[in-house]
Amino acid sequence: MSAMITVFKKELRDMFRDRRTVMITLIIGTLLGPLLMFGLLKLIVNRVSTQQEKPLVLPVTGAEHAPNLVNWLKGQNIVIKSAPKDIDAAIANQSEDVILRISPDYGDKWRKSMPAEVELIHDSTRQDASIPVERIETLLEAYSRTVGTLRLLARGVSPTAMQSLQIAHRDLATPQSRAGQILSFLPYLLILTAFLGGAYLIIDVTAGERERQSLEPLLATPASRSAIMSGKILAACAFGLLSLMISLMAFKICFMFSSGFGVKIELLMSTISLLLLVLVPILLIGACLLTLIAASVKSVKEAQSYMSILMMLPLLPTIILMVNPVKNQLWMLTVPFLSQNQMILKLVRGESIGGMEWAVYLLAGFALAAILWAIAARMYHREKLAISA
Amino acid sequence: MIEVQDLYKSFKTKTGMVHAVQGVSFTARDGEITGLLGPNGAGKTTTLRMLYTLMNPDQGNVKVDGFDSIKEAEDVRRRLGVLPDARGVYKRLTARENIHYFGELHGMTQQEIATRTQALSNALGMDDVLDRQSEGFSQGQRTKTAIARALIHDPRNVILDEPTNGLDVMTTRGLREFLKQLKAEGRCVIFSSHIMQEVAALCDRIVIISKGRVMAQGTPDELREQFGEQNLEDAFVKAIGTEEGLHA
Repeated sequence: MSAMITVFKKELRDMFRDRRTVMITLIIGTLLGPLLMFGLLKLIVNRVSTQQEKPLVLPVTGAEHAPNLVNWLKGQNIVIKSAPKDIDAAIANQSEDVILRISPDYGDKWRKSMPAEVELIHDSTRQDASIPVERIETLLEAYSRTVGTLRLLARGVSPTAMQSLQIAHRDLATPQSRAGQILSFLPYLLILTAFLGGAYLIIDVTAGERERQSLEPLLATPASRSAIMSGKILAACAFGLLSLMISLMAFKICFMFSSGFGVKIELLMSTISLLLLVLVPILLIGACLLTLIAASVKSVKEAQSYMSILMMLPLLPTIILMVNPVKNQLWMLTVPFLSQNQMILKLVRGESIGGMEWAVYLLAGFALAAILWAIAARMYHREKLAISA
Repeated sequence: MIEVQDLYKSFKTKTGMVHAVQGVSFTARDGEITGLLGPNGAGKTTTLRMLYTLMNPDQGNVKVDGFDSIKEAEDVRRRLGVLPDARGVYKRLTARENIHYFGELHGMTQQEIATRTQALSNALGMDDVLDRQSEGFSQGQRTKTAIARALIHDPRNVILDEPTNGLDVMTTRGLREFLKQLKAEGRCVIFSSHIMQEVAALCDRIVIISKGRVMAQGTPDELREQFGEQNLEDAFVKAIGTEEGLHA
């Protein structure tokens, strides 16, 4: 036990002497996520408000066939201009988002009270065009409804006769859950930081120490190999916890500024501490797994080559849930990465987590960490471990 | 006292089995310096690694002050001060912190560590570098730090693997004096070397190892007599049957 604490203290001291690496890992590594999210959020919000509120320039071909419609559109914050000659090409080369074509027989059909044809020309695979298209479509439907109602009234029919159903929405989304939607990639960032945040460090204290030839003298001391390994794992976890705390505080500060663009997200200190608790098992799992790898490979380089695979692991549940969304179930809390994903989402959405769920989650997480620890300890007891040449 | 009985150790490699040690036996007594002498690749380092429990022998056993190296590995390590072939020091720690770390791993108190560090620093002549970060240490300074680190717990038995490797003449002379001092304190000292003169100058008993086997052992006089040579070096060449690997 005391050997473990000795190793733990030494590794932390050794680590923090390497100022530049610590700075890069702690500052840049942990702040990148929040800053990236802040920037993205700002970009999305700006874009949506610009496209929805600014006057929309709409190229119209055949405007002369429907002067009333065109005038009505002008009154709805739409600027009408004449359409380019080659409509398809204009859409294809993205010089226009959407073009309205009014057919020459519009006037005839209109006078006969038949549906007059207008056509919206756009490319549905272009995300950028979706907001203007939706805006024009809504306006056209509104115009169509208004005129239809007037026609019914003129014939002495109640407009409500056309409505067999009245559909009303009652949205039960809370402000937190709405924010949670925006935060759907927060779990990935946090899980990745917890899982691999201290990766270089934990590889360094085992495989790196062997390469620098100081592992052999260390193992010649009476301290047991398990105690030495545990000290190293704990040091990496402490470092990981620190970087997670910095990261979460950065998120909190970023969210404070986010209220400026209409999304209210708040990260309470109590939520932060619960998030840290959720991340502790994954921190241990990551440290044990990397120690296992570092103890079983021949060099630091070989250990690092596993990193690209490991980085994919936390992404898997997010991808699976994206393709195949399933309801939250208790068994999910035993699956690593998936369970962290669910727990973090629950926390940021402000949902309550029951005692049973906490128990299952923590038990499963720590059990997996314990298994990995035991395998890593076996690896540490191999003769080959200490010998670098 | 270290008793080594009939050690065997083989390794699997891509090209087949390598029989590194094949039946090594010797006894190193307290108050004596025992030298393991042999050309490069003779199996000296592997033998020593089995002594300090880093490796388990395939066959045979090692007893350190009566403790078995497999069944009582921790007791054995507690009684040994080891300077292994690999003597990396932690670059970002000072020499004192390096030494202190090992003292704590041996379960010593802060006071004991401080006293012992000072004593070792005096004996090894390393006061001037004690509080410097060991990044940029010379080979000699690194070796001194590693030796102090290995002996911090005042062990009865000392194992040094090629301690003079890469050291200049003055440092080597200083180190020899230090080893004699350890002997005078009644400790059991084992050191390995491939340099004839060094072994001849220091050792009470010499164990000549080649190709994983003990070719001869005894005091320098006994070896000269056994091979009928006035010169120890000639006796050595006769013992291993070749001059290969001697001058490195």
